[in-house]
Amino acid sequence: MGTSTPTRNTLALSLDQAPPILVPLRFFLTAPVFGMLAALTLLWIGPPAWSTRWSPAMLASTHLMTLGFLTMVMMGALMQMLPVLAGAPVPRARRVSGALHLLLTTGTVLLAGGLLFTRSDLLRLALPLLIATFGLFLYVMSRCLWRARSQGPTVNGMRLAAAALAIAVILGSLLGATRGWGWNIAGLHLTDLHVAWGLLGWIGLLVVGVAYQVIPMFQMTPEFPRPLTRWLGPALFVSLVVWSLSTYPTQYMTLPPFIPLSLAALPILGYALFAVVILTLQQRRRRRLPDVTVLFWRVASVSLITAAGLWFMHALWPTAYTDHFALLSGILMIVGFGVSAINGMLYKIVPFLVWLHLQADGGRGRLTNMKEIIPDEHTRRQWWLHSAGLCLLIGAVWRPSWFAYAGALAFGLSCLLLWLNLLAAYRMYRRLITTGP
Amino acid sequence: MSDALRVLDVSQLEPPEPLQQALAAIDTLATGVCLCLLHRREPLLLFPILEQQGYDHLTCATPHADTGVSAFRIYIWRRHDSRAEAAACQALSQLP
Repeated sequence: MGTSTPTRNTLALSLDQAPPILVPLRFFLTAPVFGMLAALTLLWIGPPAWSTRWSPAMLASTHLMTLGFLTMVMMGALMQMLPVLAGAPVPRARRVSGALHLLLTTGTVLLAGGLLFTRSDLLRLALPLLIATFGLFLYVMSRCLWRARSQGPTVNGMRLAAAALAIAVILGSLLGATRGWGWNIAGLHLTDLHVAWGLLGWIGLLVVGVAYQVIPMFQMTPEFPRPLTRWLGPALFVSLVVWSLSTYPTQYMTLPPFIPLSLAALPILGYALFAVVILTLQQRRRRRLPDVTVLFWRVASVSLITAAGLWFMHALWPTAYTDHFALLSGILMIVGFGVSAINGMLYKIVPFLVWLHLQADGGRGRLTNMKEIIPDEHTRRQWWLHSAGLCLLIGAVWRPSWFAYAGALAFGLSCLLLWLNLLAAYRMYRRLITTGP
Repeated sequence: MSDALRVLDVSQLEPPEPLQQALAAIDTLATGVCLCLLHRREPLLLFPILEQQGYDHLTCATPHADTGVSAFRIYIWRRHDSRAEAAACQALSQLP
């Protein structure tokens, strides 16, 4: 009664060709450090950083998080996953990942420094480094995704995310050139596009694509509904394109503002729908064994829905609390959504990687339980700190004098704890791999 | 020919159980015997390990009529074990 589709898989993909553990892990271990740097920046500057989204400290912290934390982890995860999906290894994977890691790290530090201290010379150094980073990364991604055997929603999501990244990088480069070389470009308009393509395009589309796999796989939920996985990614991408074009003033006319505003509502609704679906799926989990990653994804989903609600409120009452709205949206999308989802992913990916590479070493009996690699209690502790940090950062938007230091401190400690948890897993790997037979 | 096929149902297990049980099972696979792994999703994480350890596999997706959910059957045998491979092909051909 069913249709069977047998697939003979005789690829010669061996674990020797699969990159060794540091290829992805160096990214995962660096990301929390950038989180701590962002926290330190906010701690150092204190309440004045929260006056506007354009404050040097806020701009620096934002990019430390979006590039140094979120993109860093995604780059590492893709360097691990792309060879598996493409069915062929990334050539010179170790060297490529090493180069990407170095370029992204130095580029981000210089960018943050240039933004924080308003030093255009640092920006002029940062920009070529970052362009080189993303140029190389997009090249690697494109080659692997072109050859990818799978045509499923996750791979398609990655393709769309890669395109969004390219657009976000181009826009970011133009903005950077404005600051670094004093070019005269329509700053504010480009910034909105850059933020949208970076957060809703690159980060959002990738998280959506990955969620289709990791949530049913690791959280024992039903699969995502097929129509959603088939259409959401492309719909989000297309709606971003249409919105972007509608905001562009042509020499003949500028569209009345309600048109781009209505068009912008589409991707916002799309993401809200995605979050609602996650929450619904989680309610239908097969096993009710407590799992901290479920909590991380729950925070991510609730943040996404809240940010969407905020957007609609701001659309209806545009003049009220404009700066608060921007800052709050940023916190919710970057920390609430991005960091939470990534935290959830890392606590599953890293133990699996450690376990996988120990397997390849031939000592299968050496480590029986993947759950021993990062103890649940440590994960839970970090979740509490992360959630507390998120709440305090939200509070800081309204009362910087009360919450700015506490929020930055809690968030910084949360990143520190994440870093220590991941480091412990890597240390366990090092210990077991060298003492084996 | 039924004893040439060993069935392991991991579809209700929580990760990493499916992966660990599958690997334990193929370790103890006798010559001429093929493992039929039943799972609720395609075990993407398993395939690279199978390749590296010298196993071939055939994956078959069959939608369940009642739930509309795809269940996956993954036939695994040691590379160059032609009897096991034949068992897999025969089992596959007998599927509705």
